[in-house]
Amino acid sequence: MKVTDKPMDEMAHALTAPTSKQSVWRGIQTRDAVSLALGIAVLVLMALSINWRFVGTLDASVIVKYWRPLAEGAAKTVLITSCSLVAGFLVGGLLAIVYQLVPRFLRSVIWLYVEVFRNLPLIVFLFWVHFGLPRLTGYPTSAIESGFLALTIQSSAYLTDITRAGIQAVPRGQFEAAKALGLPLVSRWGPVLLKKTLKIMIPPFSNVALSFLSGSSLLTVLQVGELMTMATRISDFSFKPIEVMTLAGVIYFVLNFVVGRIAKQVEVATRTPR
Amino acid sequence: MNFDLQIIVQNLPLLAKGAASTLVLVGTALIVGTALGVLACMGRMLERGLFFRICSAYIYVMRGIPEMLVMFWIYYCAPLVLDARLTPFSSAVTAMSLYAGAFLAEIFRAGINAVPSGQREAARALGVPEATVWLEIIVPQAFRVTIPAILGLVTLVVKVSGLASLLGVGELVYEATIISGQSYRYFELFTAVGVFYLMMIIPVSYLAQVYERRLSQRAQ
Repeated sequence: MKVTDKPMDEMAHALTAPTSKQSVWRGIQTRDAVSLALGIAVLVLMALSINWRFVGTLDASVIVKYWRPLAEGAAKTVLITSCSLVAGFLVGGLLAIVYQLVPRFLRSVIWLYVEVFRNLPLIVFLFWVHFGLPRLTGYPTSAIESGFLALTIQSSAYLTDITRAGIQAVPRGQFEAAKALGLPLVSRWGPVLLKKTLKIMIPPFSNVALSFLSGSSLLTVLQVGELMTMATRISDFSFKPIEVMTLAGVIYFVLNFVVGRIAKQVEVATRTPR
Repeated sequence: MNFDLQIIVQNLPLLAKGAASTLVLVGTALIVGTALGVLACMGRMLERGLFFRICSAYIYVMRGIPEMLVMFWIYYCAPLVLDARLTPFSSAVTAMSLYAGAFLAEIFRAGINAVPSGQREAARALGVPEATVWLEIIVPQAFRVTIPAILGLVTLVVKVSGLASLLGVGELVYEATIISGQSYRYFELFTAVGVFYLMMIIPVSYLAQVYERRLSQRAQ
């Protein structure tokens, strides 16, 4: 390489620019050829198995016709997911704080709550809450109440664990230093401990939020009226499952993407400057 | 409030049959999903080109939409679009495999990236054959790191398998719905089903926790 031809700043840039990560692949040519060949193979396989005559008869007008119920369903999905996440966060946060304060045998009660509801499939729990629980409480819940209750309890179990881990991730010494400095109880728990906990919690919280956004589609078994319910109803009614289901998938995907983006933004915005 | 244990005991054979069906469903989906995951992981490791794009799209789509939608889409739409004759069981297995494959691809990739690239380069510099580099150096170490994540995915797939009941696959939730529909003993039967699921899931997730703890101890 002839160094003298290049201006100094360009050279300096070339030296300081981050080198790309070492790849698994050695030869560039083989990698590109493999990628292209496999890609073409997959596309050809798909093209051969698709029934093109049928695809030609697809009709997007059904989407235009039923956009209103689908939009309502999407709004309901967002609403019920966010409500149950907020409620689950309140319950979970409270349980996590209680977990730090109570003696050992009470801790195992909270631990049992977390383990049971985190490991129970949502669909079983939904049926249990909607059809079983009224026998226990004597108060029959409507579909949307049961859905909300089930999502809240399950998300609170996940969030208890996440908050507990977040509290334990804050170095113990900071809490003790605040105590030694004579800070009042409120600021010891507030700015010193919980504020940092919340920051640590953002990525796992967004994971839970995304999984419950997808999980809320299960409420269709109770016909709650969220997006999945609407999509199945419309596709049964109009005999156009492909258009409606695909659109529902696109809406879920976009919601997921947007929530993921927002979580990322919040994470960046609250990052402690170094 | 009377808890009628009799109804559970009476229908235990049916529930056991459902549980066996659930396990078959999960097992098949995991096997097919592993194959898909390896393929998609390979595509992601290519890092550019057509196949990389296809695999990335597959992974993002599967992770971005509800599992239930995938299942319904395959059950309702695949027979029309693909001219395929799908039984409820095969469409449930297909959907679960696609789902598991997308997650496994990311898990495998994370595991491979966790192996320091210096080892790979050193092995190549020493003239170790490429197949040996992968089979005896990278994969064993990558596998050890990913065991907790894989076990976590297994629990996820077990949970997802309950959705197959909505297509009419005769697994645990389906049997419970049928029996409780006849006897109106929802509370008892779904409690029993919940216990069945917990018996399947908690050992796996406990194993994952133990293994994770051991890994982090070794790392220190």
